[in-house]
Amino acid sequence: MELKFLVVDDSVTMRRIVNNSLKTLGYTNVVEAGDGKDALSKLAADSSINFVITDWNMPVMSGLELSQAIRGDAKMANMPILMVTTRGVKEDIVQALQAKVNNYVVKPFTPQVLKEKLDMVLANIQ
Amino acid sequence: MSIQTKNMSEIFEKMDDLKSVFKIGERILPILQSLIDFMGEIIPMLENINTSISDSTNQMPKVSHQINNVTSATELATTEILDLVDEISNELNDIDQAINKIMEMNEAREQKFNEILKHVEGNKKVIGLLNEYKTISTFEDTFGIIREVLSKISNDAFKITMSLQVQDITSQQLSAVNHLIESVNSRLTGLVKEIDSSELKREFSSMKWDLNETGHFDGNASYINREHVQSHVDQIISDQKQIASQEEIDKLFS
Repeated sequence: MELKFLVVDDSVTMRRIVNNSLKTLGYTNVVEAGDGKDALSKLAADSSINFVITDWNMPVMSGLELSQAIRGDAKMANMPILMVTTRGVKEDIVQALQAKVNNYVVKPFTPQVLKEKLDMVLANIQ
Repeated sequence: MSIQTKNMSEIFEKMDDLKSVFKIGERILPILQSLIDFMGEIIPMLENINTSISDSTNQMPKVSHQINNVTSATELATTEILDLVDEISNELNDIDQAINKIMEMNEAREQKFNEILKHVEGNKKVIGLLNEYKTISTFEDTFGIIREVLSKISNDAFKITMSLQVQDITSQQLSAVNHLIESVNSRLTGLVKEIDSSELKREFSSMKWDLNETGHFDGNASYINREHVQSHVDQIISDQKQIASQEEIDKLFS
């Protein structure tokens, strides 16, 4: 299965960093969105997107709300979601798990950590 | 006792009470005087506080604007750095491809060289010269070193890219500060309008300095020492797995 990533972050810098990290891991098929609402539009317009990497704190619609929206949509309910965020306290992580994100990476991250979590998510969905 | 005598006795009792009140009044009078003096001193102080608050309040939008400018400037600078790093990476790729081409050419050259050797069999002098030529024109080792250096530059460039996550983190910290300034500004603006001692007291005591009430930022974002945080996250996820039933886990991580 060819992976097509949707990288969601309001920071242009972070989108590029995640994008570059994915490239070094061999994933070149990437689209970007600036917030949760934008991400939902991209997902609705492009059914070939099959992996979402999202930040938490974003204007308009947060990553948590995005995850809830994706899980609430029957067509996308099984979409793998990786949360990449600065939030690292237990309550946040539990909240993210309740929103059914597949895994959680804390910023600043290393490519190794990103690879490890991607592999874990992919191993679980295959 | 006649009614008149009874009334007189009541009047004397009331007068005694009145006398006691006057006595208390005499004692309270200096305290009241001190209180009035104190109020006389505190009013100019409150006026000073009012002026200071008013001045600070006027400065706050400017500070907030400057913080936003700093965020925009760092984002622009970071984008420029990322552009340059991408350019360096692309150029390194070009060099690597060029080396590949040279190596292919070298391989072809070597094949031709071996063919030539076959044709000059018996001519020891030519064979000797050709072998000497082969020794001085071997590229593998040199290109191996160049490739190592290129790989190191490429890794360092990627490390620079990853380090630029600091921009996102500091911009979230600045957003948190900005949010705090805006909250203080709105409170102080209200205070300036209706300042008096009791109001001041009430307003300050009811102020909340919550960084995370609203806004699309993480006020606790930090760039330093985050490795242990990821371990902490992994631990919590693992704990959740243990606490939840297998069905819940399957639902969560399938």
